[in-house]
Amino acid sequence: MEAILKLSLLLIVLSILATVFRLVRGPSVPDRVQALDMLGFLIISTTAIFTIFIRSTAFFEVILLIGILSFISTVAFARFIERGYAIDRKSD
Amino acid sequence: MNNLVVLPIIIPLITGLVLAIFNRQIRLHRLLSLLATLSISVVAILLMNQVAIDGPQILQLGNWEAPFGISLVADMLSAILVLTTGIVVSCCLLYAFASIGRERELKYFYPLVLFLLTGVNGSFLTGDIFNLFVCFEVMLVASYVLISLGGTKLQLRESFKYILVNLISSFLFLVSIAYLYGMLGSLNMAHLSARVAEAGQVGLLIPVSILFLIVFSIKAGLLLFYWLPGSYSAPPAVIGAIFAALLTKVGAYAIIRIFSLIFYHDPQITHSLIGILAGISMLLGAIGAVAYWDIKRILTYNVIISIGLILAGFASFNQIGLTGSVYYIVHDMLVKALIFLAGGTVIYVTGTSKIREISGLIQLHPQLGWMFFIGTLSLAGIPPLSGFVGKVLITGGTFQADYFWLGGIGLLTSLMALYSLMKIFMNCFWGNTELTPEMEKGSTRGLLFPIGILAALTFLLGLGAEGIYQYVELAAKGLLDPGIYIGAVLGSNPIP
Amino acid sequence: MKKSNDVILRTVAKVASVIIFTFAINLFFSGHHNPGGGFIGGLAFAAGLTLLFLSYDIASVYNNSMLDFKVLGAVGVLIAVLTGVAAMVLGKSFLTHNVARINLPLFGATQLATSVIFDIGVALAVIGTAVTIIMSIGNDRQ
Repeated sequence: MEAILKLSLLLIVLSILATVFRLVRGPSVPDRVQALDMLGFLIISTTAIFTIFIRSTAFFEVILLIGILSFISTVAFARFIERGYAIDRKSD
Repeated sequence: MNNLVVLPIIIPLITGLVLAIFNRQIRLHRLLSLLATLSISVVAILLMNQVAIDGPQILQLGNWEAPFGISLVADMLSAILVLTTGIVVSCCLLYAFASIGRERELKYFYPLVLFLLTGVNGSFLTGDIFNLFVCFEVMLVASYVLISLGGTKLQLRESFKYILVNLISSFLFLVSIAYLYGMLGSLNMAHLSARVAEAGQVGLLIPVSILFLIVFSIKAGLLLFYWLPGSYSAPPAVIGAIFAALLTKVGAYAIIRIFSLIFYHDPQITHSLIGILAGISMLLGAIGAVAYWDIKRILTYNVIISIGLILAGFASFNQIGLTGSVYYIVHDMLVKALIFLAGGTVIYVTGTSKIREISGLIQLHPQLGWMFFIGTLSLAGIPPLSGFVGKVLITGGTFQADYFWLGGIGLLTSLMALYSLMKIFMNCFWGNTELTPEMEKGSTRGLLFPIGILAALTFLLGLGAEGIYQYVELAAKGLLDPGIYIGAVLGSNPIP
Repeated sequence: MKKSNDVILRTVAKVASVIIFTFAINLFFSGHHNPGGGFIGGLAFAAGLTLLFLSYDIASVYNNSMLDFKVLGAVGVLIAVLTGVAAMVLGKSFLTHNVARINLPLFGATQLATSVIFDIGVALAVIGTAVTIIMSIGNDRQ
């Protein structure tokens, strides 16, 4: 059981390295934003597997919070790329 | 358990919050802020009398026993400083009623001054070193907003430097607290003192104490003062006066507290270093005060000279020197506020701060001129004004501790400070009157009353030194003997 | 000038923000014995409000909430300090807290602590501060 968990952690670490490569290399800004979002998901998966590993329930709120914040920040980045500003003062 | 100790912290906090909720009523702002500062002074007088009879007054926050909880300790030095702070801020508020301008008043000026006062009183009254950091930060953030309130270009430029320097010093403060906690395992100052006395000040403790000295020197302006002249001359006169009278003194108080309570075992290294730093800053401050022909620069370099003198008295570490130091802090808070407010009035009336362009103000504003003269004499140490007693005791203390060069530098720089302030007085007030009443940029109505109060207080402090001497002597005795402090905080419980 | 077409974002935001607010309140109340508390509850609430700021604009959120967030921050700190003063009025040291252990009909044996009132004050202060900062950096459409 532990071996499977360790193997999956290793594979997720490889995915993180690949994502970081895309983050550094991405020729355009949307590529980088996508890489950051994916990093958020990978951190959630790592935390979930780690929670099974140490048999505790302490990290559930962390998982939910990272999901929320990653969603909000991707939306903010996308608006910034599209319009040049993120939050509008008054729309018509 | 004395609930009176926490009142100087929560009275300005609650008043500031209530004023921040009702933002538009300026009359309510003025009334409540003045009431808050006056009530702090009354509470401080009550505390001083209680400490004179019973010893240091303690309050354990949340009823958690020391050293596990946060203690608030009012010993004689803290009570004296809280009283002086209350009086100085009351006079500065009276000055601000007539001078700060509607625009800044609507931008939360009075709540910010009250939050600054919360941080200052919290720093004076706390007995826990991390709580000292928190109260420092409260004071600093309020000062960041005050220094840039109004948004003129000069203010924004200077506030950038001020914020950067203080950010670095706060970071260093956190690092040194982390080191101290890692080595000694406690954050309560009395408990730390007991543990250092047990273990001896060996090994890494001496560099950590020097790190604390660096942090508080940045804050007090002891040799690391290069941010001070710019930052204290940019904001309006009232805010400059509050900063000069309060903020550097909190840094000096922190140095005095840490090096008399916790790190007092190796005075050859630590206290002689403080003495050397004090001597150099006095010399540099005096050179700066003599060199400039601009009112604000001269006044801010005088702040640096006074901090050097206070810490020279502390470096001698005997009863006379410490008594002189405590006396001089009180005198200096009053007189710095006095000359900053008077200098600010001169700049307000004439519209310029360069001495060479002003002359002959004494014809039109005789009271202002003579009050500035009283401030000059008091700062230089001429009897019977209050500076004399402080300087005599500090010089006596340094001679008794064989720091003859330090006492000599103190006397020489007092002479140079006298010259710099007389330069302002003779050039601005004497001479031919070029300014006619139509050319004045503003009136002094309402501005002279608080300056008059401060001038009267420095007279009283000088003439009535005998009456205050017993309190100041108790303060110095408490600094020299940490056992009183530790005994009061940890009680009769065995030290864990 | 591009006309904004935010239908997907607005629909998702309408549902997601309610979930985020509920989660923030849950984080707040579980602060006594589990990870959570006033600070993170306030920040999660502010994150939900940020989502609303992103999908709609500052003016409509402000007009619909009718709150000056600076005043909210001040009220929060005031509640926290007055909790401590209440302990002082009753004769104990400043900021002494008390716990009542009672039996509620639906929840069973619960602890009601006065620290919760202090934490409500902290959460309101954090919400007021965070939302004031975000509202100050909103942009004007040129």
